[in-house]
Parts: sequence; structure tokens; C-alpha cells
Amino acid sequence: MTIDLPTIERLAGMLERSGVAAIEIEEAGQSLKLVMDRPIAAAPARAASASAVDDASVTAKADIAGHFLAAHPWRAKPFVEPGQRIEAGAIIGLVKVGLIYAPVVAPAAGIVDTVIAETGALVGYGSPVARIRPVAA
Amino acid sequence: MIEILSVTGPASVQDLGRFDQVRFGVGTSGAMDDVALRAGNILLGNDENAAGIEIPMTPFKLRFGRDTAFALTGADVEAEIAGRTIPPWWRTQARAGDVLTLKAMPRGARSYLTVSGGIDVPIVLGSRSTQFRGEFGGLHGRPLQVGDILPCASWSVTIRDLGIEPAEITLARSSAAADETTVRVVIAGEYDGFDAATQQLFWQSSWKITPQSNRYGYRLQGPEVKPTVPIEKRSHGIVPGVIQIPPNGQPIIQMRDAQTSGGYPKIATVISADLWRVGQARLGSRLRFEQTSYADALAAETEKSAYLDRIRASVRLVEECLT
Repeated sequence: MTIDLPTIERLAGMLERSGVAAIEIEEAGQSLKLVMDRPIAAAPARAASASAVDDASVTAKADIAGHFLAAHPWRAKPFVEPGQRIEAGAIIGLVKVGLIYAPVVAPAAGIVDTVIAETGALVGYGSPVARIRPVAA
Repeated sequence: MIEILSVTGPASVQDLGRFDQVRFGVGTSGAMDDVALRAGNILLGNDENAAGIEIPMTPFKLRFGRDTAFALTGADVEAEIAGRTIPPWWRTQARAGDVLTLKAMPRGARSYLTVSGGIDVPIVLGSRSTQFRGEFGGLHGRPLQVGDILPCASWSVTIRDLGIEPAEITLARSSAAADETTVRVVIAGEYDGFDAATQQLFWQSSWKITPQSNRYGYRLQGPEVKPTVPIEKRSHGIVPGVIQIPPNGQPIIQMRDAQTSGGYPKIATVISADLWRVGQARLGSRLRFEQTSYADALAAETEKSAYLDRIRASVRLVEECLT
């Protein structure tokens, strides 16, 4: 995605409609932070620092802004737990935006290392949700 | 197309119902949980009246004959396809040959499987719904059997996985106890034929849903509720939601496959905005009735519509956002 003015305008519209306070996008060579100037109660979760990340691990990221859910509200058990073996495309958790539950999926097969996001936390586009140690499928 | 591999209980093809034939004595049929059927169709971009499969019991198993987008809504089911677990109120993609298994139903009483384009059985008297009583509509007018092949209207779209908040969460109402469902009712024609003490008994009781409850009606068990003097009426028109009191004093709620007429006294009627809650109430669980006004019944209908409107808008927004 190129970050041009129409894109920013579209993103701002989405933030407004979904009641989300802010969004941060980082692409190669460019970054964008949009903050709504209306007061919104919750502050967005800051992107976790990259310092502690094991080079071999891959990160499952949110691709939409909203509140993270580690488990479906009808289920006590979270989608994944540390140490669990998962396949590429497995659901790691949900991002709740209004009445939508959008899945966060594993980019590769592996062992779940850490689920970074906490249930209820606001995540943004590209926010890391979980770290996975890849294993050959 | 879809092939039924395993079925428990009377699963059937249902759309929203057959609404123009009541004057001829043909009942509406249609999904017991209309909100769930609509939600599934919204997730898939279908007409909201597209037919789906109403699944009242597990295990249930079917095979997709071709790549098909589908959704599961309604009761909470433990469902799997090709080794993947499907969360509640979810849409996903099946590949040709994939087997979908509904293993258990930990919450609610009816799951709805909707498919991209809808289940394409012939329209009979304006609807694809199975009419159990008249044995028409749906697939050969009967519950689904192992080996049945259901045609799907062909739409080879590929969709990404997406879930929506179950109606039971968004439209939650405070309930007195676990495993008890409170539904709103308006009083009906013969309410005044019951004395004040008996009316109180009706409102204050927690009614057990007996095993003799199905798409035709729910037979409830509790204290005897009898009119002051026996009421004998000629058969007259009744609709799904009507609560009749037969001579044994045990209420019957008429449901989607109810007859279109009856003569038992009517004490109250479940408002149409809450009928889906009855449809999701499990055998052996309990029902409680809460008196409401006509105005509040209309407000509840508006609230239900607002939930579906929000889902429609949200699904559109997300498609826009993620594509």
C-alpha cells in the first residue's frame, strides 16, 4: 500500500466509523500515525518494542484496528497458548471492531512462543499479536 | 452441492418462511432462529432470505462437492473442517471434498449452515422452507437423511474468514438464572378468563421445556394454569408465538410449523422479536415470561433490526478495509 492522501482520508473515515482513537502504519521507508482529535477513552496499545524479538521467530500481526480477544466470548479457552503447535493460517485471536470479529492468523506453522496482546487491549493495523517459532511443516 | 454424511434429529432446509399462504391454512415454517439465518446470509453477501440448513442436533456431518464459502450461526457448535476449528458465528471457505463436522452443541438449540448463494431447492408456494406438516418444500418435504445431495446456487467467490458477534451477546437480556431464558410476551385474547392468582402463577413460574417440544410447538411443564371456567372456542387463526392453555393447564407455545388455527384459550403471545430466543432454548431448560406492551414489542423489533443493520454495515466496512 502506498500512503497517499486518498489513503489517509479513507483511513481517517474508517477510524471515525469504528470509534478507534489512533492508527500507526509502518511500511518500508514511510510511516504514518493518525490520531483522532475527538477525545476517545482508551489509548491505543503501543507497538511492542522489537528489541526482545528472537530473530528466528515470526510475528502474527493484526490487519485491522480494534480490541484484541484471546478467546471467543463464548469460550473459556484461548485460541492458542504458549508452547502449542499450530499450522500456518491458524487463528491466534480475534480483533473486535464493532460487531465484527476479525481473525489474527499465524503467518507460518510453528510453536507459539508468546501471545503479546492482552484481551481487551486496543491493537492497531500491524500491531504484533503473537510470536511464533517456525518449525518445518 | 453438499452431501449429507451424518445427521441426528430433524435437520431441514429453511429460509425465513412462507408468509403469503396463511389464509389458505398453510403455516409459515421458516428458520426457528430467523436472526441467525439472516446473520449467516449477511456474512456471505446473500439475500437474507436465502435458504440454509437448520441443524437441531449433533453430530452432523457433510461434504462440500466444490469450493464453497459458508457460514455457521445460531447455536454454539464445536465445528471442524479439514482439521481446522471454526469459531461460533463465522464464515470461512470450504474446498471441494472438505468434510464439515459439527461435533457438539454446548449452547443453544439450533445451528444454521448458510452457503454462498443459498441452498437451491425449488421454491414451493413462495418459499424454500421445509413444511413438515404438509410434507413439501425443502428437500422432498422432509428432514435431511444420510446420502441426500443438496444443490447450492453457484457462486464461486473466495472469501476470507470473518466472524460476527452472536445476537445472544449483542441483544442479551438479564436472565434470572443460568439455563433460563426470559422472553417478552403481550397478553392475548383469553387472558381475562384466568383469575388474578392464576395470572400471577403464569408470570412467576419458571417453565420447563419438555422433550415434546419441536418446530411445531414447545410444550411446557409447571404449575397448572387453568381458566376460571373452561373456555371452549371455535378454531380461529393463530400465529407462531401464541401461548395456548389446553385443558391440562400446561402451556404450549406455537412455533414455526404450528397449525394456522386452533381453539384452545390463548393467555399470551411471545413477541416476534423474541421468538428466536425460544428457538434457541434447549429441551430441559426453563422459560420465563415477562409482560410487555405493544409499544415495547415494536421497540424490541427495532432493536433486533438495528443489530442486523450494524452487522450489514460492519461487514461492508471490513470488506472495504481489508481488500
